[in-house]
Amino acid sequence: MSFFRITLMRSGIGLTKRTQGVLKALGLRHRMTTVFYPVTSEVAGQIMKVKELIDVQEVDKPLTRAELKAERRPEPGFYLEKPAPR
Amino acid sequence: MLSRTIRRSILDSKISSSALPPTFLLPLRARCFNTTTQHIETPSAGLDASQMPLNSVAASAEDAVKPKGPPRRKAPTAPAPITTPMAVDSSVKEMLPLLAVQPSHYINVHIHGKPYLVTQGDSVRLPFHMPGVIPGDVLRLNRASSLGSRDYTLKGAPYLDERIFECRATVTGTEAEPMRVKETKKRRNRRIHTVRSKHKYTILRISEVKIKQLEDIKGS
Repeated sequence: MSFFRITLMRSGIGLTKRTQGVLKALGLRHRMTTVFYPVTSEVAGQIMKVKELIDVQEVDKPLTRAELKAERRPEPGFYLEKPAPR
Repeated sequence: MLSRTIRRSILDSKISSSALPPTFLLPLRARCFNTTTQHIETPSAGLDASQMPLNSVAASAEDAVKPKGPPRRKAPTAPAPITTPMAVDSSVKEMLPLLAVQPSHYINVHIHGKPYLVTQGDSVRLPFHMPGVIPGDVLRLNRASSLGSRDYTLKGAPYLDERIFECRATVTGTEAEPMRVKETKKRRNRRIHTVRSKHKYTILRISEVKIKQLEDIKGS
């Protein structure tokens, strides 16, 4: 089963209640939130209602909150080469 | 005395067991009291007075040994060595020897995504406390975005290949800021809430900035 990966790129502030309602139904609270939904005609219709505000990709597997956070986290950039005697 | 005996005789005459209503009409609590059999329980071995202090002392010792609170975070360990061949640009092949020969170099290392422009011998105060390290630990910094000298600069997109350079830093210690007091207050309310902050910061000393030659990289 494939999934839509939907990311809110533009805010819904100042838009109609109907549009803001669609964003609320999708669970897109603020900019750069990412949600995953299975590919169905209902979700496709919701996407079409707010298509100017979001960025959509099709993926195989939905990511969990922890996995999304790990995606954003930068690499540490260092490692412990020689620990001092403890 | 007389009044007491008279009172008792009156009470005895008035209330007798037969005057109580039958059991099924009594309230539930009275029924339970009437129906349970009384028995005496022998105290268990654990309740023995001589043993109790020992048990409590043993329990507290175990608690003291067990570490409490969130798990201690450790510094990252060496990653697996890179096996993919290095993509070498023609300009790199031409000018890397020239860059390596120059007397002094600088490097833009990235620690948790933030750049630090350093050279050998610099002391860096990180804006955070690095967990899992003690003074004397040697860290190998492997993410750099640019490496240069007076006349040449080697830029990575976004990072350089880590096999080209060696950059080591030693943890010299931890520093703390002066105590900060933040006072928060609501309007028209006299209660002032104070929050005290005294953050710690890790200090590193860059001990080595070295550029390797392409022949050394390909040979290893």
